[in-house]
Amino acid sequence: MLRAQAGDMAAFEELVRRHQHGLFSYLYRMCRNTSDAEEMAQVAMVKAWEKLGSFRGASSFKTWLYRIGTNLCFNLRTRRKPTEELSETMAAPDAARPEQAFQQKVREEVVQRALGRLPADQRAALVLSVYQDMSYREIAETMGKSVRAIDSLLFRAKTNVRKVLAQDRAKGII
Amino acid sequence: MNCGQVKRLLPPFLDEELSGRVRESIASHLASCPACRTELEALKADIHLLKQTETPEVTPFLVTRVMAEVRARKRPVPHGFGRLVGSLAAVLLVAVSIGVGVLFGSGLAQTSAPIAENSTEAAVSYVESSTTGMYSLMLGGD
Repeated sequence: MLRAQAGDMAAFEELVRRHQHGLFSYLYRMCRNTSDAEEMAQVAMVKAWEKLGSFRGASSFKTWLYRIGTNLCFNLRTRRKPTEELSETMAAPDAARPEQAFQQKVREEVVQRALGRLPADQRAALVLSVYQDMSYREIAETMGKSVRAIDSLLFRAKTNVRKVLAQDRAKGII
Repeated sequence: MNCGQVKRLLPPFLDEELSGRVRESIASHLASCPACRTELEALKADIHLLKQTETPEVTPFLVTRVMAEVRARKRPVPHGFGRLVGSLAAVLLVAVSIGVGVLFGSGLAQTSAPIAENSTEAAVSYVESSTTGMYSLMLGGD
């Protein structure tokens, strides 16, 4: 980290390699579009390089980088509605086990729809918690909110997801 | 603790975000409350379902693209301590240069005025070049 801050590109490249999967995964869950997620991950990392001098180490590099990504994502969401491309981005169905493949596809769509119906801040908190295994403190750092606010956001997010999933369960979809 | 309070705290309970005493109170309540246990199991099932999904693989070219763009840009400018040191050094150089200029100027009496002006200009020029050099040094640049 210090080497990267001093201008060492090889050290920065190592940071990019280390965080690319997590950041992309987070942004994909947020914007539900592979191309947008890749573009935002790229922009976030380049911005991180440009702003590396202002990184003071008060938080981890990961939460700092994800915060840049979060801001980009929120700005994009205010500009336009996300376009879903779930079916095209998932792995090809397993021909040997078509039923399991179908069930998996249904689960993916149900989950993405449930996440997609959440307000952006609830969704970000939930995705960071469930998929990135971040603590409430780390989520608070990433989103620039208090731990108490994150607790509240996660409670509301989980309550809202429960309602959506309950409807799908009642219809026998899952 | 009543059922309402426990239900509100179930998400942080499951996420292991609560202090020991609160956790113990909730665990004790759950042991004797089937309704709250059902609530906890439902919450676990939702989270399990969310985790069962997959994320597409990131493109193998992301690192290449990022680094190509990074190389095309300037190196990050040092902030904080580095910038502070640079500023202090610049101020110090100005003070020393002016001091030297005044000292030599007074020693050369009447005819020294143009020389003193030149000294100040030279000092400013020196400070500018020194400051640039200092940043270059800190950045490890050319």
